[in-house]
Amino acid sequence: MAVYILKRVGLALITLWILSMIIFWVGQQLPGDPGRTILGNLATPAGVAALDHKLGVDRSIVTQYRDWVTNLAHGDMGTSYSYQAPIRPFITTALVNSLKLALVAFLICVPLAIASGVIAALKSGQWIDRSISVFGLSLLGLPEFVSGVFLIMIFGIWLNVLPVGATPPAGAGPLTQVYHLILPAIAIACVLFGYIMRMARAGTIEALNSDYTRTAVLKGLPTRTVVWRHVLRNALLPTITVVATQIGYLIGGLLVVEYLFHYNGIGSLTFKAAQAKDFPLLEATVLTIGVVYLVATLIADITYTLLNPRLRIGGDR
Amino acid sequence: MHRDPQKLDQLRNGRSEIENHIIDEYVLGRISRREFLRRGSIIGLSIPLLGAIATACGGANSSSTASSGSTGTPKAGAKLRIAGVVPTSAINPAQIYDEGGLTMIQQTGEYLSFNDPKTNILQPMLATSFKPNADASVWTYTLRPGVTFSDGTPMTANDVVYSFQQNTNPKVYVNAASVFNGVLTNDGVKKVDDQTVEFHLEAPNGNFSYLISSDNYNMIIVPNGTDYSKWQKTFIGTGPFKLTSYQANTGATFAPNHSWWGGKVLPAELQHIFYQTQQPQITALQGGDVDIVNLIVPAGAEGVLNNPDYTLLDTKSSQHRELSMRCDKAPWDNKLVRQAMALSLNRPEIAQALFKGYAQLGNDNPFAPFFRSTDTSVPQRAQDLTKAKQLLSQAGHPSGFTTDLYTEDYQEMKNYAQIIKQAAQAIGININLHIDNQATYYKDHWLSGIMSLVDYGHRGVPNVVLTATLTKGGAWNAAHFDNPQYDGLVKQYVAALDLPTQKQIAGQIETLLLDETPWICAYYFDSLSVSKKAIGGVVTTGMGQIYLSGAGPVTA
Repeated sequence: MAVYILKRVGLALITLWILSMIIFWVGQQLPGDPGRTILGNLATPAGVAALDHKLGVDRSIVTQYRDWVTNLAHGDMGTSYSYQAPIRPFITTALVNSLKLALVAFLICVPLAIASGVIAALKSGQWIDRSISVFGLSLLGLPEFVSGVFLIMIFGIWLNVLPVGATPPAGAGPLTQVYHLILPAIAIACVLFGYIMRMARAGTIEALNSDYTRTAVLKGLPTRTVVWRHVLRNALLPTITVVATQIGYLIGGLLVVEYLFHYNGIGSLTFKAAQAKDFPLLEATVLTIGVVYLVATLIADITYTLLNPRLRIGGDR
Repeated sequence: MHRDPQKLDQLRNGRSEIENHIIDEYVLGRISRREFLRRGSIIGLSIPLLGAIATACGGANSSSTASSGSTGTPKAGAKLRIAGVVPTSAINPAQIYDEGGLTMIQQTGEYLSFNDPKTNILQPMLATSFKPNADASVWTYTLRPGVTFSDGTPMTANDVVYSFQQNTNPKVYVNAASVFNGVLTNDGVKKVDDQTVEFHLEAPNGNFSYLISSDNYNMIIVPNGTDYSKWQKTFIGTGPFKLTSYQANTGATFAPNHSWWGGKVLPAELQHIFYQTQQPQITALQGGDVDIVNLIVPAGAEGVLNNPDYTLLDTKSSQHRELSMRCDKAPWDNKLVRQAMALSLNRPEIAQALFKGYAQLGNDNPFAPFFRSTDTSVPQRAQDLTKAKQLLSQAGHPSGFTTDLYTEDYQEMKNYAQIIKQAAQAIGININLHIDNQATYYKDHWLSGIMSLVDYGHRGVPNVVLTATLTKGGAWNAAHFDNPQYDGLVKQYVAALDLPTQKQIAGQIETLLLDETPWICAYYFDSLSVSKKAIGGVVTTGMGQIYLSGAGPVTA
């Protein structure tokens, strides 16, 4: 297991390095330049050139990239071109915000979706199954900006029972923060529910039809024991993988939700950095999302392995 | 009320030739009381003095106040939450150019004078009076005594000189360069004594006092020696508020500055919250998360427009879009073709479609209708498709032609470009639209495109647009317009000090531009903000500034 983890970490580092080079190159292709973004469209070319020189963006891309990597290796994420301030606090704040939102969305969506999928599978072919499946499919086709607008209008404005903005007042406690995250988390949950529910349903049906389940039933085990001890453990393995692949989206892909609910997450920070051609900030945000995604995938793989004793990597058979 | 000649003589005593000229104009009834107040303030007569003169001439003694929002007396002690646009970069007063940035600096920073948005009259702010010499080439400003910065240090002429020198520094790009180019150089600002500053101009300029008022949003006064690149850490200024905290990309909080020269500050706290787009601002207002939304456009704000629960703060402004046509390239090198294009547009319909009527019609010149020097007797151009087609025939294009229009993806402009395309189609001009992001447009097409549609923000006087966009060699002359008569008239206008002269020259300029039509300006759209009905005392300007020292909840 240790060797496996080390191998995965090594691969992750290589992936991140390649990702950083790609983003650096792609960022250079964006129209405009940092000096122009900071000084405005009416600034003189000489003024823009002077600021670009001060920022160092007129150096070769190789030189810029080398300096950036060197600083990163020393734990220095650099200074934002547009904010003229160290990048680390921006990343930390945005990442923490995104993790909070992802956690609340996760806690709302995953148990609900898995439970719905398992129930649908257990009642396969009956009206409960059909209702859950149709409901899940319908949500799958509903973009989050549509569900978000409806949620804001109904619960935030008409009924006025939930806040329309996801950002709580400064100094708010955990409960207040969660209170503000409910609406955006529901909007996100709507997107993920159908996908996770269908995976859980499919996995459960397959597990229910398997030999080991038939054996367990024939042994006379109670239904609850069969489901909890034999069916779910195998049925949820592919679901875990699916959930893990959504972590990246939950952390870095929520730009629309962040805008709609006015929330400073890592998605909107990435977009702002791209708009401003703020290369250091853009690199930092993308790499952060990459790290989160790779860590989430690694955790999912390890969990999968731990839950599935048939997988022995480098171990005894 | 009757005229009091004795009182009038007393008040006239010691006044300069220019000041007496304006008083004569009012006494003889050639200008209204409002014009008198405005012109008097430009040349530095204080509002109380102007009011006293008006009373002595038989008018009531009252000065206008700039206030907006709900009626009723605002109460002190409120914590106000304001939704605004996120600043595009670090807050450097000399370099900010965006709405988010300028709103931030004017929360704590102040100007020598304030352009009242309701009357377009300059009110004293950090200067109590200002006056020009005989030909308006030197302006003398008397500073308000007893003003301190938020850290307690007194404001003196040294601070004013420093602030202006930083904003006219030729070695570093500063945003105010577009205003001061050809007007004021770095060594033109001189301290006379601790309370007096002189501005020695490159050429006579009758509107100079406007050019250094709150209309020039970069020109807040900072302490001598301030590092502008670090100003964001303290937001130091003389204003009614001082910084509590600033988080880029999130918002800013301000507390009252109890040593403010202007007296009591009503709000207990201001919380500015930054938003990337308008829709979440509107839902935040509707949901009760904010009390005021600064700077909105009508599209997307239907839920709060004409809604009795909210107050719309509507300020006339000179924000506009210029559709320039290259006067040095066929087919636009023929003025008949340019006139034809201008005649194809239905301006009232455009104003209604794009701004729901919150706009004034433009007449293809830099004189916005609300400018006092605008000659409104010049006929307003209206759509006339028949005449447009005739002009095209006369110009040798009876079947029309095909051309390209370049513009930027910004606010309503791509919709406006589509309207222009359709209007041109009606007279046989086939337009290929090229809509780019702002960076590409400004870099590649703004000043070179055969037809170019660009945005312009608000200015309190037309001087910058008159010179930069249309004079030979003007930095923003996208039409490549070259007309010596025009250049001569602009020079005269800039130098003119009294309103009748300015208006007379403006009329000539407007008439010339109607004939030549180097660019089309179909509308000047209003600056809009919105607040809860229960909030009063909010003052907004055409520039997008928002003043809240007198704001608070009002009782119904």
